[in-house]
Amino acid sequence: MFYRIIRNDILKSKAITLTTMIFVAASVMLVSLAAILVVNLSGALDTLMTQAKTPHFMQMHSGQIDTSRLTTFAEQNSNVDEFQVVEFLNIDGAQIILGDNSLANSVQDNGLSVQSEKFDYLLDLDGKVINVSNSEIYVPVSYMKDNTAKIGDKAVISGKEFTVVGFLRDSSMNSSLAASKRFLVSSTDYAEIKNIGNTEYLIEFRLKDMSAIGAFETAYASAGLEMNGPTVTYSLFRMMNAISDGMMIGIILLVSLLVVSIAFMCIRFTLLAKIEEDYREIGVMKAIGLRVSDIKKVYLAKYAAIAAVGSILGFALSFVFKDMLLENIRLYMGESENSSLAYVLGIIGILLVFFAIMTYVNGVLKRFKKISAAEAIRFGTSQDKTKAAKHFTLSKNRLFNTNIFLGIKDVLSRKKLYGTMLAVLVLSAFIIIVPQNLYNTISSKSFISYMGIGNYDLRIQLPGNIDSIYEIEETMKSDQAISKFTVLTTKTFKAIMEDGTVENIKIELGEHSIFPIEYSEGKAPTVDDQIAISTIYANEMSKKVGDVMTLVIEGLEKDLTVSGIYSDITNGGKTAKAVFTDNSEGIMWSVISAELSDKSLVDAKVAEYADKFDDAKISDIDEFVTQTFGSTISSVEMASYVAVIVALVITVLVTLLFMKMLVAKDRYAIAVMKAFGFTNSDIKAQYVSRTVFVLIVGIVLGILLANTLGEMLAGLAISSFGASTFNFEVNQISAYLLSPLMMILAVLIATMIGLTGAGQIKISENIKE
Amino acid sequence: MKKIIIGDHIVKSFGEGDEQHIVLDEVSVEIQEGEFVAVMGPSGSGKSTLMFMLSGMDKVDAGKVVFDNQELSEVSENGLSDIRRTKMGFVFQQPTMLKNLNILDNIILPSMRDNRKNAGKISEKARALMKRVGIAELEKRDITQVSGGQLQRVGICRSLMNSPKIIFGDEPTGALNSKSAEKIMDIFSEINAEGTAVMLVTHDAKVAARTERIMFMRDGKIVSELNLPKFDGTDMDGRVEKVTVKMWEIGI
Repeated sequence: MFYRIIRNDILKSKAITLTTMIFVAASVMLVSLAAILVVNLSGALDTLMTQAKTPHFMQMHSGQIDTSRLTTFAEQNSNVDEFQVVEFLNIDGAQIILGDNSLANSVQDNGLSVQSEKFDYLLDLDGKVINVSNSEIYVPVSYMKDNTAKIGDKAVISGKEFTVVGFLRDSSMNSSLAASKRFLVSSTDYAEIKNIGNTEYLIEFRLKDMSAIGAFETAYASAGLEMNGPTVTYSLFRMMNAISDGMMIGIILLVSLLVVSIAFMCIRFTLLAKIEEDYREIGVMKAIGLRVSDIKKVYLAKYAAIAAVGSILGFALSFVFKDMLLENIRLYMGESENSSLAYVLGIIGILLVFFAIMTYVNGVLKRFKKISAAEAIRFGTSQDKTKAAKHFTLSKNRLFNTNIFLGIKDVLSRKKLYGTMLAVLVLSAFIIIVPQNLYNTISSKSFISYMGIGNYDLRIQLPGNIDSIYEIEETMKSDQAISKFTVLTTKTFKAIMEDGTVENIKIELGEHSIFPIEYSEGKAPTVDDQIAISTIYANEMSKKVGDVMTLVIEGLEKDLTVSGIYSDITNGGKTAKAVFTDNSEGIMWSVISAELSDKSLVDAKVAEYADKFDDAKISDIDEFVTQTFGSTISSVEMASYVAVIVALVITVLVTLLFMKMLVAKDRYAIAVMKAFGFTNSDIKAQYVSRTVFVLIVGIVLGILLANTLGEMLAGLAISSFGASTFNFEVNQISAYLLSPLMMILAVLIATMIGLTGAGQIKISENIKE
Repeated sequence: MKKIIIGDHIVKSFGEGDEQHIVLDEVSVEIQEGEFVAVMGPSGSGKSTLMFMLSGMDKVDAGKVVFDNQELSEVSENGLSDIRRTKMGFVFQQPTMLKNLNILDNIILPSMRDNRKNAGKISEKARALMKRVGIAELEKRDITQVSGGQLQRVGICRSLMNSPKIIFGDEPTGALNSKSAEKIMDIFSEINAEGTAVMLVTHDAKVAARTERIMFMRDGKIVSELNLPKFDGTDMDGRVEKVTVKMWEIGI
């Protein structure tokens, strides 16, 4: 009997059943995709980092190195499992030509390495440790992704020719957030060109007990060993590798959550309408002695059928799309070992959605209990009306056209019904605006100020103690095109911890107020005894604004007050800023930042300074941002487009569904209006007013929600970067004009299509006595 | 007297093929300005359908309907709406009201479509009509808060708002007790006395006896007519008897 009832009911409301099913399928698809992606990402990442034996602790160092002292340290520290020093031959991008492309514009530190001996292997795309022959070169996989190089290309590095024979995965430097990129050549070739570049050292350790990494870091720092460069730990490697795809998964999860809630809304809406329609029947069933649970079964069975078909469909769809989304993970990290787990988790996710839907339907059906059999049989409808709209009467209406009045009045009188539609539209607006704002924020130039970099046009990076820094300063002073600039020099200082231990701390010295960054707490240091520290440092040393820390400056212990805490992703997130002068040697690097009076000159200036100063790495800041965050930004951009499409499709479907149901429900009222001389266009105008009214409220609420809750959620996503305070950078035109316009257009089109049935309603058939 | 409606050989059928059922079989009818007529007949005789045809709410399959010198089949859908809104009034058996609106708003709804600016005047007119039919105190009530007889009076007020040339009543007293029904008929008589044509569709001999011409329908045809003098409040029993005898004669 159930089968017959369900079949008849579904045949009677094909459009509505189909729409509900589509939403269920979409939410199941997204949940399943998110599960598959999460499992694959973490699995592939584990595989990659296991196969490559990623170092647990890596200290980059440029300058002199005392290998025997390091070896002694490694032997004496009981936690060290393996130790090695890998050379990295830093080569100017202009000296690297792959096929027809030069890496002159690359902001990455590109360099050559040989295959490691003990761990930190460079892997080929099959996950095997690469054995490279003479005159062959393996290129970082990111240059394959952006089509800079392909297999068989000729590569010329500082005049020496190589053939690109493959691409490599570098578990420690794959990510665009890692500043360096390693190319792999044979030892013979490496020895041959060793003199043309700057040799840097990667001092790497594998530990027996990873959990004691903190103690190991302290031990390394207090041993006074080489540390002229950033320090990176295993967890940071992991985070950098995961971030781009992690952001995408985050957005998919967010969208899937929203689509699930929309599926709920649809179900609630159709159910409420159906109950209203069947009110009398339900009353009769109750009157003749059927139990509420018996009546519920009929409805539950229908939704179980819809949810089951939708779930299977969604699961199948997730298989269609998964390869597209897994592409990046596969390229950078390879296959996941536990991919079968992905299906299990996907199925668990789907079952969760399915049972959530059934529980929800059951919950909505609780109102059966409240239906009074007597009332239902007598009136055929529920008598509980909202009274709020009582004073909004036609006789007092001077403001609106009568059709618009009737539309708005209807919305106000049936708040429950329209509330559901409103909720869907609010969510749609939210889905459209939040990813777009997120994209706009992270792609905007000022976003880098959350990342510990000020907002300027030109960035010149100089290694170590180089005299040209003064030349550059002089040139800039006399350069009319440069409106302001500042030189920040990074040096290492010893900091004395509260427990008496000594840690090395990298401090950027100079004027920090010229290109200010965002401080999550406090402000930039302005006087000599102030210091600002990065979030990671602040957490590690448990320092707050106003706390005092002791540094050794030019041999003397000095107390500095923490003036501010900021987010930083550069140099492993461990940096500090101060303004005091220090005349000691040992500059690790310097960065000159400049702002141009005419932004269009950026390219010309980059070229001009690059030409004049060979030692310096000069980049246009947009280029720097694009190359550093490019893949993350493009993941988010992609997600934001998908979100717009998803939300518009949702809007159209829901509006269509809504209109079809309203017209079906309102046949009688429409017939009455027509009988008394309202034209079809009058009726349409009334319905358009209803949807537009709901839509406008929806858009306004959606925007408000996007700027509060959305900003908070996006902030959580961003905090994975190390940024802690966060405000949306909104593209006003696209967020507040184009997006609402798109929604209005979608709703109007859907309303018009949904209303075609209203014109065909015959008065005589619907007013019959 | 001028003819307000001419129905000429109207044919209307429902369903298709084997299931086709002819509801109006070449029916011709004329109604004069200010006339008070009734259409009687058993269920399914086609009397309501005739009313839908004459008021332009449904289209004829063959034949024609001329209302106020306009042939309705030549008038656009919107034109028909305009005619119904400005020149016709309707009262149905079940009160056809919009649930969302209160009593007053239901009454002024059709008039407000064109004359929103005059909402004050329109409301005044509605209040006057409500007072006249004895429901002045109900204007702010919801339609669920009044009785069937009161609602029917609301319907009459609505039908009178645009000073129509004719009022169609489809079993206007069918859902009422006899006392309420009598009051409603008093109102119809009054309206007719002021010059508005009234056409009622009814089963009820007492209702029909109030009118001056009764058409009897059976199987989609008008089978007979009965003319009565204008009702002056007297001899109600005699009029009812005449109608009943006629019904008995033709077997309906």
